[in-house]
Amino acid sequence: MDDVLELRAVTRTFGQRTALDAVSFAVRPGRTTGFVGANGAGKTTAMRIVLGVLAADSGEVTLGGDPLTLPVRRRFGYMPEERGLYPKMAIADQLVYLGRVHGLSRADARTRTAALLEQLGLADRSRDLLHTLSLGNQQRVQVAAALVHDPVLLVLDEPFSGLDPLAIDAMGELLRSRAADGVPVLFSSHQLDLVERLCDDVVIIDDGRVVAAGEAGAVRSGSADRRIRLVVEPHATSDATFPTGVVGASVLSHQGDGWVVALAAGADDQALLAAAQAHGVVREFSPVVPTLAEIFREVVR
Amino acid sequence: MSGSVRSTAGELTAWTAVRVVAGREIAVKLRDRAFIGSTVFMLLLVTAATVIPVLLSQQTPALRIAVQGAAAAQVVDLAAALGEQAKESDSAVPPTLALLGAGGLPAADVTSVEVEPGGDVQRLVLDGDVVAAVVGDELDGLRVLGAQGVPSEVDVLVRAAATQLQIAHAAQDGALTDAQVQALTSPAPPAVELLDARPTGSVPPELLVIVFAFLFYLSVLTFGMSIAQSVVEEKQSRVVELLVAALPVRWLLAGKVLGNTVMAVGQIVVILGAGLLGAMVGGQGEVLRQVIGASGWFVLFFVLGFVMLACLWAVAGSLASRVEDLQSTTVIMQVLVIVPFFAAVFAIDPGPTQRVLSYIPFTAPLLMPARVVLGNAAAWEPVVAALGVLVTAVLFVLLGARLYEGSVLHTTSRLKAVQAWRGATR
Repeated sequence: MDDVLELRAVTRTFGQRTALDAVSFAVRPGRTTGFVGANGAGKTTAMRIVLGVLAADSGEVTLGGDPLTLPVRRRFGYMPEERGLYPKMAIADQLVYLGRVHGLSRADARTRTAALLEQLGLADRSRDLLHTLSLGNQQRVQVAAALVHDPVLLVLDEPFSGLDPLAIDAMGELLRSRAADGVPVLFSSHQLDLVERLCDDVVIIDDGRVVAAGEAGAVRSGSADRRIRLVVEPHATSDATFPTGVVGASVLSHQGDGWVVALAAGADDQALLAAAQAHGVVREFSPVVPTLAEIFREVVR
Repeated sequence: MSGSVRSTAGELTAWTAVRVVAGREIAVKLRDRAFIGSTVFMLLLVTAATVIPVLLSQQTPALRIAVQGAAAAQVVDLAAALGEQAKESDSAVPPTLALLGAGGLPAADVTSVEVEPGGDVQRLVLDGDVVAAVVGDELDGLRVLGAQGVPSEVDVLVRAAATQLQIAHAAQDGALTDAQVQALTSPAPPAVELLDARPTGSVPPELLVIVFAFLFYLSVLTFGMSIAQSVVEEKQSRVVELLVAALPVRWLLAGKVLGNTVMAVGQIVVILGAGLLGAMVGGQGEVLRQVIGASGWFVLFFVLGFVMLACLWAVAGSLASRVEDLQSTTVIMQVLVIVPFFAAVFAIDPGPTQRVLSYIPFTAPLLMPARVVLGNAAAWEPVVAALGVLVTAVLFVLLGARLYEGSVLHTTSRLKAVQAWRGATR
């Protein structure tokens, strides 16, 4: 059950365009992995390759070290970017059908469907046709379709798009509970604040290349620049040139007594502190961890 | 609970998967109002077509004829006797032929209504109390009165009775023997001998052939369209991406074709069954034997012909990206069904054209069973034609599977078959 999903040097081209260029990252069990990138960066292509809907030109995808085969992929749960279920089929019927397509016996598919619909609060709508449901409820059925066969890996393409704040919370809860059961969960999203809040790991992809991957905290603090926020009340005698004397420090913003200073790799933050103390009374000296959105803008630029 | 579920998930044989997909197709069809409607309509049509002619042909008309005068009474009595006689030997001569005077006489229950001399015969006829009136005291001066027209049975029977009586009188005057009179009044008809006899049936075999061809045509067209629709529905609703992540595309295609073939054959069998039942109730044992004899070949050719085209219908569906595109992507398929249908109908008469067409895979399912019914096919001929259709079906299934694989995931725009062919290599 505790198998890591790994992509190694996966490349895929469409005609002249390279959609994925040697993409490598891992999705670890028991953790939620956020997949971040601009439109057209290659998120959906990568997910489709994991699911086997598309074939990679080169590179490999493994689960627990074994290459993916159809019987293994059949146990994956998938929520495609473009939502899709049968509009004119009763929701219980289509969940049972999808469960069976994923290899459940009829009895198991029925049991799982009933339990899921109960859990999602749709038990009384089970005989209704999908297209008669509200969009929010259709989305819930879509989630149920990804979960009905109790998947060993969850891949969700933009699971939060079109959800209201309450539904977003419910979806986040659901992803985290799946991950807590030991299932690797990979999802893409444009909503970086959500990814920051929900994800243990982050993969940032830009123009077909992975530009950052790893634990969310590490990705944030490991960005090229360290940033320090300072509040210094200057001595009456100080000149206004702080902190020009510190090697590798540059001022990102300055307002009244407050500064945000970027330190280049190798720059000494203690030198900055000393310079600040020489300049005045240090009221605040704290490292600033950039938000994912800031990092994203930075690496994608 | 989840432990037991996990142990079964993922294990899926091709046959189970195909059955599950086919099962969905069938369940959807069984709930489809258009499908139920068309089946009921065809059932009614077939029942009506078999039962109504039987009712018509078996109903002996009851005719009341007013009679005025001695000769008239004599003639109508004889006409009633002739009508009665014809009823007993009814099966020998089709009523339509009898009416034309080509064979025996039409069966009828004739009742005569005596009218006193001076009574208003015309009134009776005009009021509709009687269908006609025969008036006259002399055999050679009889008048038959009708309102707007005289029922053909009355016309034929009265004419025959009058002729027989006149010949009998003339013969007596000429002092002929009874045997000679008999020969004059009921001359022996020439015996007909068929040198190239076809199986006899009370329904013309050509009609059966057209009915078969029409059923095949209708079935392939409606179920073909429904396969194409089911494919494009999955593309348009994007559910296909979920399915393809779990199943090989070929299994999906096989399930669709299997489900729709089962439904098409089921529908045909039910309709044929209803027709046969109708014929049995109507007492047309001949038709029954004729149809059952040919239905084995018909069903075999039906299945082969249907499967041959089914995969191509699925391709027509997967080349479209929306239901609206179906009109244009299925044109070729419609032509592939309609042209053979008309070719088969025009080649209904035995001849070299029919012989050639009965081997061409597109028209073979229509014409080879027809030739079996018509009795002009040697025993080996349907076997060879069936093999030809089978080989074509295998080729088309392979072609259809490749094109389907190449196009089913392309959801954004309409495709050309060539693009689908290339797409399959990716």
